[in-house]
Amino acid sequence: MSTSFYNKFERHAHGEGLKGNSTHYCAGCGHGLAHKYLSDAISELGIQDDTVLVSPVGCSVFAYYYFDTGNTQAAHGRAPAVALGHKLANPNATVISYQGDGDLASIGLAETIAIAQLGNPITVIFINNAIYGMTGGQMAPTTLMGQPTSTSPDGRKQINGQPIKIAEQIAQLDGPVYVERVALFSPAERSRARKAIKKAVQLQKEGRGYAFIEVLAECPTHLKISPDKSEAWVKENMVPIFPLGVKKDLTVEPWWNIEPPLFDGGKFVGIIGATTDKTERNCKEFPAHLHPSDISLKLAGSGGDGAQTAAILIATAAINEGFDGTHIPSYGPESRGGTSYADVHVAKTEVLNPASPSPDILIAFNAPSLSKFGSTVAKNGFIVFDSSVSKEIEPSDSSIKVIGVPFTEIAAGLGKMVVKNIVGLGALAAATNIFPRETFLVAIKQALKDKVALIPLNEKAFDLGYDAAKENMKAKRY
Amino acid sequence: MSLTKERLKPYLVKEYCKGCGRCISVCKRGCIVFSKEINHLTGIAPVDLDLEKCNSCGLCIDACPEPYGLLAMELDEKFELADPSKLFGKKKNDTIEPVTIADQKLPMPKTEPMVIKGNYAAAIGAMLAGCRHMYGYPITPSTEGAELMAKILPKMNGWYLQAVSEVATINHMYGTAGAGLPTMTFTSSPGFSLMVEGISYMVGAELPSVIVNVMRGGPGLGNIAPEQSDIKFACRGLGHGNTHAICLAPSTPQEVLDLSMEAFELAFKYRNPVIVLLDGYLGQMTGRVNLPAHLVKPGIPKWAVYGDKGHRGNLISSIDLAEPDLEKHNEVICAKYDSMKSEARSDNFMTDGAEILLVACNTPARISKGAVQDLRNAGIKAGLFRPITVWPFPAKQLLALMPQTKHIVVIEASAGQLEDELRLELNKAGLEKLPKMSHIRRMGGMLPQQADVVAHVKSIAK
Repeated sequence: MSTSFYNKFERHAHGEGLKGNSTHYCAGCGHGLAHKYLSDAISELGIQDDTVLVSPVGCSVFAYYYFDTGNTQAAHGRAPAVALGHKLANPNATVISYQGDGDLASIGLAETIAIAQLGNPITVIFINNAIYGMTGGQMAPTTLMGQPTSTSPDGRKQINGQPIKIAEQIAQLDGPVYVERVALFSPAERSRARKAIKKAVQLQKEGRGYAFIEVLAECPTHLKISPDKSEAWVKENMVPIFPLGVKKDLTVEPWWNIEPPLFDGGKFVGIIGATTDKTERNCKEFPAHLHPSDISLKLAGSGGDGAQTAAILIATAAINEGFDGTHIPSYGPESRGGTSYADVHVAKTEVLNPASPSPDILIAFNAPSLSKFGSTVAKNGFIVFDSSVSKEIEPSDSSIKVIGVPFTEIAAGLGKMVVKNIVGLGALAAATNIFPRETFLVAIKQALKDKVALIPLNEKAFDLGYDAAKENMKAKRY
Repeated sequence: MSLTKERLKPYLVKEYCKGCGRCISVCKRGCIVFSKEINHLTGIAPVDLDLEKCNSCGLCIDACPEPYGLLAMELDEKFELADPSKLFGKKKNDTIEPVTIADQKLPMPKTEPMVIKGNYAAAIGAMLAGCRHMYGYPITPSTEGAELMAKILPKMNGWYLQAVSEVATINHMYGTAGAGLPTMTFTSSPGFSLMVEGISYMVGAELPSVIVNVMRGGPGLGNIAPEQSDIKFACRGLGHGNTHAICLAPSTPQEVLDLSMEAFELAFKYRNPVIVLLDGYLGQMTGRVNLPAHLVKPGIPKWAVYGDKGHRGNLISSIDLAEPDLEKHNEVICAKYDSMKSEARSDNFMTDGAEILLVACNTPARISKGAVQDLRNAGIKAGLFRPITVWPFPAKQLLALMPQTKHIVVIEASAGQLEDELRLELNKAGLEKLPKMSHIRRMGGMLPQQADVVAHVKSIAK
């Protein structure tokens, strides 16, 4: 006897008594037949060791009692999601999601459709018996019109909707390669079911794709008829609504060929952009003239001004020099054109609080930002602003220096508006002496390591901002 | 092709017949009938076979739904009712004892500090911990983590799979975790809500995984600004049943990386999910991050269902039908929770002689650090106690500070969720009388401000 069933069902009531070799299914239930055909398919294909069977919620929740394969039991409706998780973990495993109609066609509909559409090679066996078995005869999504159930006592009516035809829906998706609806009510149908299940598993084994078999099955207990009558019931009542046959069968060459994951530290470091080269340092000491231990900056403008990029460059420059640096962005809801503020800290050893409610330095890229944050700048602080778009403001304290540089005009003169923020950084360097020019340039070059051609332009922008700020400071006698 | 397929007659151990009769209608020769006698062991009337006229068509065997119902008789074999394992012969049982394939620590090149945001740090930490399976559904403010993994993982032959929902996400993770591999997701509060069903199943099935929740303003859709909105949820509400998970609450990008990496170690150590709680601010915050000296190449634990010969005998499941079994399983889980208490950890900042103790985690802890520095500069004996694990809460560490503490101020971006944990856990730890308590709470994406903390503590100190 060649099957993939356990020799003894140890998990079924601890294998005691007759349960050790009997299923928990009712007399005449279609699950047992589907189990047998699946078990035979696994054995015949020689994949018992590699198979992972995912048991659902519903009557077949205990499929794992019987199949001598790897077994996982999933949450209600989630079996295909779990199956895909197994398949991606071990692409060489054969993973089978075995589900009933409540599980697959109701609570798990999103997973059912989405994973079928993904089309990765797994096999889904769908047992459709038009009723909820485990919970005791309630209406299923596949319950027929007029069919009485415990939650449609007078028969399924229009308000409950029509029975859902899953095989047809799966077949119209692009992902699956093979979809067939089979039944169990006669020797001929059983023979087709057996072949279809085997083919669906084989397609996965060969790496050809996702396959789906819907099995019209009998539930004599909840149909409240004898097993032989329930066979006739499926034939006479279900088949007209759920037509049997192949719904999709594509010829696909094996394509599922997955390389094992890599764990090479050198490669990883390269991909994430970490550098093994020592970063050049140009600061002799912490710019304590701005604050003894922790300099707070705010950069503000509208989205697209480059405030965030400039902020990260300042934080990077600080960290390159062996100090600590932080940056926190705050955006309006729009991707472009909204408000865009950044809080930056440069600390000798550790930034304690990265927020900048009263910054030592404000860089304002537009007039609203200048008026909103100008008054928050701390005593002895600096305001650097784009004088192309904002008017000079009176500082809240006479110790605050206000330096206007035409960021926009300079950037426009260079033919690249995007370097406006680099003009601002040049102005910052000149106004505050926070870091030497080279420190900024190292950070800019790091940021542009994949766009080296842009470095001279940025360098120029920085220098023009620097010179313009110096000029403005000279005029103001700072 | 041979057409002479060997055909065999059926035989039946009547105890395994449920009397459905599906075999009866297919037998054209009338060899099978319902028995007139009820089997005294099963209480069921099985079928009777009379094989005189049997032509070995095999249709009855194909029609029998029971695995050990009608079976093909071996030629010339005679059977007596006996122990099934004897009866059916020794089926070749080649299941082997599962073994653990150990993780390996591989060296990393020495690198300069990176300047990255919290979300990136979490992604890099996870990948350094050996995670090559990231599932997710994009949700602000956690998306950068997923985006970075989507960019990097394929280059390391790993997977970023964008799931149909957070419900699917956590179940993809359930599958990969069931196969014994490290897996994680990025999400934010509303997405986390959708995941807790799966988290409960993972706890029940004892599966390791890491969920990085970059918390945002709630309830409902709330907003995308930072809030510590899910502390209660993560500590006390991980789905139905007896569920808990270690919840890590970093406060800097460096700590995000370190704890995201360690989260996998803890997840596998306890076979349980681990939650990494960031607030939206920390997820977006860029800072200095040093990479570790090694990365992990994960092995396969012996309990996994990997889909290979070595793990064929295993089962991943959270169902225990028999009440005594489920109680026992819960006792095992409770014992794990007890042992997780040893992972409770915290950080003290300027707590020497502190009479006013600030308690905060995540970004509010950094704001509080700034405040403590200001307060100490002003001569006020304030300090900060920062839980790094919010579950298990570091009650022992906090108790140690109680003799000197006159007043606790809990600073948080929520309506008191951290304070509830603190009160409950200090009470459970046997503290009879709490010191004076007050708090600064902001919600809706507003954060406590350093100046407000300083002013509040100064008013207490007066």
